[in-house]
Amino acid sequence: MKKFFALMLGAALVFGGCSSSSGSAEGGSEAESKYSSDTLKLYNWGEYMGENLISDFEDQFGVKVIVEYFDSNEMMYTKLQAGDAYDVLVPSDYMIERLMAEDMLMELDHSKIPNLSNLAENLTNLDYDPGNVYSVPYFWGSVGIVYNKNNVPLELLEEQGWNILKNTDYKGDVYIYDSERDSFMMAFKALGYSMNTEDEAEIEAAYQWLQELNDTMEPAYVTDEVIDNMMSGTKSLAVVYSGDAAVILDENPDMGFFMPLEGTNLWSDAMVIPANAENPELAHEFINYVLTYDASYGNSEYVGYASSNQEVLEAMTEEGGYYAENEAYLPRDGYEKDEIFKDNEVLKQKLAELWIKVKAAQ
Amino acid sequence: MRHFKTMLYPYLVWIGVMIVVPMLMIVMYAITQKGNDVTTFRFTLDNFAYFFSDAIFLDVLKRSLWIAILTTIVCILLGYPTAYFIANAHPNWHMRMVLLVTIPTWINMLVRTYAWMGILQDDGIINSFLGLLGLEPIKMLHTSFAVVLGMVYNFLPFMILQIHTSLTKMDKSLLEAANDLGADRLQRFLRVTLPLSMPGVISGITLVFLPAVSSFFIPKLLGGGQFVLIGNVIESQFLTSGNWNFGSAISMIMAVIIMISMYITKKVDRNVDERGV
Repeated sequence: MKKFFALMLGAALVFGGCSSSSGSAEGGSEAESKYSSDTLKLYNWGEYMGENLISDFEDQFGVKVIVEYFDSNEMMYTKLQAGDAYDVLVPSDYMIERLMAEDMLMELDHSKIPNLSNLAENLTNLDYDPGNVYSVPYFWGSVGIVYNKNNVPLELLEEQGWNILKNTDYKGDVYIYDSERDSFMMAFKALGYSMNTEDEAEIEAAYQWLQELNDTMEPAYVTDEVIDNMMSGTKSLAVVYSGDAAVILDENPDMGFFMPLEGTNLWSDAMVIPANAENPELAHEFINYVLTYDASYGNSEYVGYASSNQEVLEAMTEEGGYYAENEAYLPRDGYEKDEIFKDNEVLKQKLAELWIKVKAAQ
Repeated sequence: MRHFKTMLYPYLVWIGVMIVVPMLMIVMYAITQKGNDVTTFRFTLDNFAYFFSDAIFLDVLKRSLWIAILTTIVCILLGYPTAYFIANAHPNWHMRMVLLVTIPTWINMLVRTYAWMGILQDDGIINSFLGLLGLEPIKMLHTSFAVVLGMVYNFLPFMILQIHTSLTKMDKSLLEAANDLGADRLQRFLRVTLPLSMPGVISGITLVFLPAVSSFFIPKLLGGGQFVLIGNVIESQFLTSGNWNFGSAISMIMAVIIMISMYITKKVDRNVDERGV
């Protein structure tokens, strides 16, 4: 028996070794002459890319893509600072602002990204990077409340906005997104402040708002688990990113999506090339590929976030489109109380300190 | 013997690079202010003062110690009888049962903890089964029950194996002697077996308590975001707040607490030894 296993193991090693070496030898030489190497290192959010995008790109260009995942901008930043080299990153707006300020990004060569012309108009002149000098938008969205239409009337949501999360009728029936940025955003908005405020009294008031919520509502603080749980309708209310909400609504027709009238966070994630990238040529090729209609469509359909590609956005939302009936897919545009997060290291740290204290109090 | 000493050098280099240097860096971060560059250090004890001045952090520390102690107690209560049973089992079964205890540890801890999420969650395996029987679902995930369960599950093999080792090493003729001198079963266990197996229990305690008190992914996965233990506070200082100095200070405080508890267990161990022999 032992011998049999050893034999199997040996065989697996030999065959495994063969197939991988032949695989890289194949397109390798061609790709290597065009780019500095045939490997692209991508650092992206988890569950944030169409199922076939990577394999299609690999087949088409004869290259290999190594993907690593992060679950917060801060985690990505920490790894980047530790000296890890990637070719393409997909951070959020405020983090790109910081990376730009710290000279950690490479200027993009627009001649190598002809598909830039596919970008949706409202994404070509974003505050943090006008003219897309360093970044190419990937997805954009907002933050809102997913609610069970059978248990929560829309009128009540409209009347109470973010404060419905403190309505004790829904005690133990609420998911809060476990991130200081989004939690303080809803507290600031509920109190009528700007989410970029630095005013001590306003921060203190928001801290108290969250403490009250924590003390009275028995909330569950979750991250990506919220998607599966709301699909199966575990709780009535949840704070969710718009794209995740689109996927939830797609699965569970009882669920609705509401963006509170007090305003919310409009954000965008974009592809950038870090200054220490080892294969910037291939990185440009990849960014260009993601902007094609097919890649963008597959991406947006699978992940549920609003595409940065104008034609895909139209195809998704026009009559008969995949997300035409889905109220969470397209973020509301041009509402004056909606804001974009500005990079503010001091404020962010302060909120992070307060957030761990909110959660730790029991 | 002397020529064996040179074989130690690779290990010494390893200790130096992988243990001593990182420890010194933690100490360095803990006693300096944020925003140091290479040339200027501003020393401070504020990081420690901040920890002890805030009741919330002390609560978290208390909670972490309590959960770890509870985990250790449950591990002893479950682990001792199991180890005793295995040690006294028929030799044919002996190794198979030890294997059964060890097999789960071949799989990555994180993976096994994720599996518990699926078992415990509101629409998980247990609650689906209860639903089939027409019973109300029980909320198990995101409670302290789930956290302690996850820790006991992950750390129990360490306890069983330690106790098992000390039980099998025991000289069985001592039991026969006790029998000859008129001791009954209970007396034989309490006065011979238990004292002689104490070293195993003590090292089991060390192996369970230490990882339990500093664990951060088990409370995070099974306790949910609202279940904050000291390991989670440390993690958040490094990954979200970016306050490495405060994170290092808490790590140092934890290191001191762990050293004190190891000292106490050592001391208990020695007392037991004196009594036992």
